[in-house]
Parts: sequence; structure tokens; C-alpha cells
Amino acid sequence: MTVALAVPDVLVARAKAGDQAALEALFRAFETPVYNLARRIMRTPEDAEDVLQETFLEVVRSIRQYRGEGHLWGWIRRIAATKALMRIRRDQLRAAEPLDDEPAGRPGTHIGANIDLERAFEHLSDTSRSVVWLHDVEGYTHEEIADLMGKSVSFSKSQLARAHARLRRMLQGSEGAEA
Amino acid sequence: MMHCTMDDLLALRAGEASVWARKHIETCAACRAELDALYQRVAQLKALPALRPPRDRWPVVRDAVRGERARRRRTWGVWSLAAAAALAGVLLLQPNQAALHAELAEVKQQSATLEEQLQRYDVDGRVLSGRAAALVADLEDRIAVIDGALTSPAQDAQRVKLWQQRVGLMQQLVTVRATRARYVGL
Repeated sequence: MTVALAVPDVLVARAKAGDQAALEALFRAFETPVYNLARRIMRTPEDAEDVLQETFLEVVRSIRQYRGEGHLWGWIRRIAATKALMRIRRDQLRAAEPLDDEPAGRPGTHIGANIDLERAFEHLSDTSRSVVWLHDVEGYTHEEIADLMGKSVSFSKSQLARAHARLRRMLQGSEGAEA
Repeated sequence: MMHCTMDDLLALRAGEASVWARKHIETCAACRAELDALYQRVAQLKALPALRPPRDRWPVVRDAVRGERARRRRTWGVWSLAAAAALAGVLLLQPNQAALHAELAEVKQQSATLEEQLQRYDVDGRVLSGRAAALVADLEDRIAVIDGALTSPAQDAQRVKLWQQRVGLMQQLVTVRATRARYVGL
């Protein structure tokens, strides 16, 4: 998903001044890309909704710190990615799973013979999904992902490679079953 | 025959592949097909439809922020008055600095009064014109800088000067808000 949304400077200035209508306009402009990013990374729609809410609470609290350097979407997206990764890390700590654990897929689902890319992607681990989405779709560099995750660049690279190898296996298995 | 690993394919895509991988991909049809498949997977991921939130979360965000603002204003008002009262007490103990402290207490009291006035105009973050909003943002930024300086240790004379600057900016802020309130008939 590509976001090419231009936000007028005057709207940002009004939001910085605490104008409720301007803050709501920012929310409306970015709620879908933020939710989409969160939903692609998080396991459940409820988790993604929570990330959306936490992200905009942070945006409203911190909008005055945004100095107009770079696209506003880049600034909001980084907040959203940070919130999503923090939630994943917290859930993994609660479940006592290592961060680079191989996946189990989403609860209540299983891989059948016929699987498309979207479902195969959902069956990656939380960490793998995050790395693939941030790198391949959102365009983050490995350095940026490593920074967001508190991990090394090589960790990000190896996660990406493992994720693509797994996607390839899942999709090839599907093709084989269909043939 | 040795083939490219997924690491090799990703490095080829990023333009960071080894000499061996770059030479190999030119002659190996199987690895070229794997590289094409990698490009296709990424293109398909980028083309997935946007998922939209099932519920409107704005009311929750708005209410939470309003609550935080109200608490912050109350805390600031109480803090200003307490600081003014504490200074009044100090006056009694250090008569040689009485004039300076009196000035400090007075300017803090002015600041607290202006905060109360501002709160009346800014209860719900009412709609501002773009120009007014930019002015308010600038004034609030400058006040924030002064607030930051006031948290650092400083001589009384310097503190009086900072508080006077703060009061001046607060007066401008109140004027902007009051003008806007009159304009919309509040």
C-alpha cells in the first residue's frame, strides 16, 4: 500500500495549537494506513485497533515536536511501527517466546493445501511479518528496522531471508498440491 | 551445481550480492526464476488491499486527550499558586532580597491568573483560523522553552526576567484566544 497523502501545513499548525477539528482531520487522513500497517504486523484486529489508538494518542501528545522534516506520514508511521513492535515484544515476553522464534501462525488457522500469499504471510511469525512488511512494503532499511527492534542489522537481514524462504516453501507446497 | 541461497537472492535484489552470485545468476535459469519469484512476491505484498479499522477510535483518543489537558491545566495552576505562596514565605526570612522576591511573587501570580483566563478560552481546543493557529503554536513553543529554562537552577534576577517573558507571551496568547472567542460569539 502506497501512501502519498499531502497534508497542508496550515492543518499541521492548527493541530499543533490543539485545534480539535485539525487533530481529527489528521486522524481521518491517516487512520487507514496506520491500521493497515498494524493489522499486517499484529496477530488480531483487536491488537491492530489498540495500536491505532495508542499511535494517535502519541501523535496528539507529540505533534508539537514534529518540525516538518520529512513527510508527516513518515513521522506517524514510525510511531505506529514502534507501538506495534513494543506490543509484540511485550506479548512475546509474556509468552516467554524468543523474539526470533519460528512461527506458529495465527490462532485458529492452519495451513491448507491451497494457500495464497496473503494467508502464507499471516502464517509467518510476528517478528518475520514485521520485518517483511517494514522492509519490503513500507521501504524501511535494515538499519532502521534494527533500530526499531533493538536488534542488529544482521538479525533483520536473516529474519527477512528466513521469512522469504518460508513463504517460498508454503507457496510451492500449495502449487504442488494444486497440480 | 551450487545455487543461490535466499540470502544471495535478497542481496542480488539489494545490489549487494557477492561476485559469485552475480556471475551465477547470469548463467543459471533456476536461480533467475527464483529471483523473479522473489520480485513477484514483494510486488504482490505491496499490492494487497488496505485493511480498514472496523470501528471509529477517534472518540476514545479525543476524550483521553481532553482529560489529560484538563489535568495538566489544573496541576499547573496549583503549582503556580503554591510557588507564589512559598516565595511570600521566603520574603519574611530574607528581608535583604525582599524586593526581588516580591517582584518574583507578583509575576508568578500574574502568570497563574493568565493561565486561568486561558483555560476559559481553551476548554475544548476550539477551532482557530490557520493564521491564529500558527501564532498560538509559536507562542506555546516559546512558552515551553521558557518553562524548560525555569526548571534549571538560576539566580533570582534571572528567574524574574524569565517569568516576565513568560507573562508577556501568556498575555499575547490570551489576546489571541479572546479575539477568536469574540469572533465566534462565545
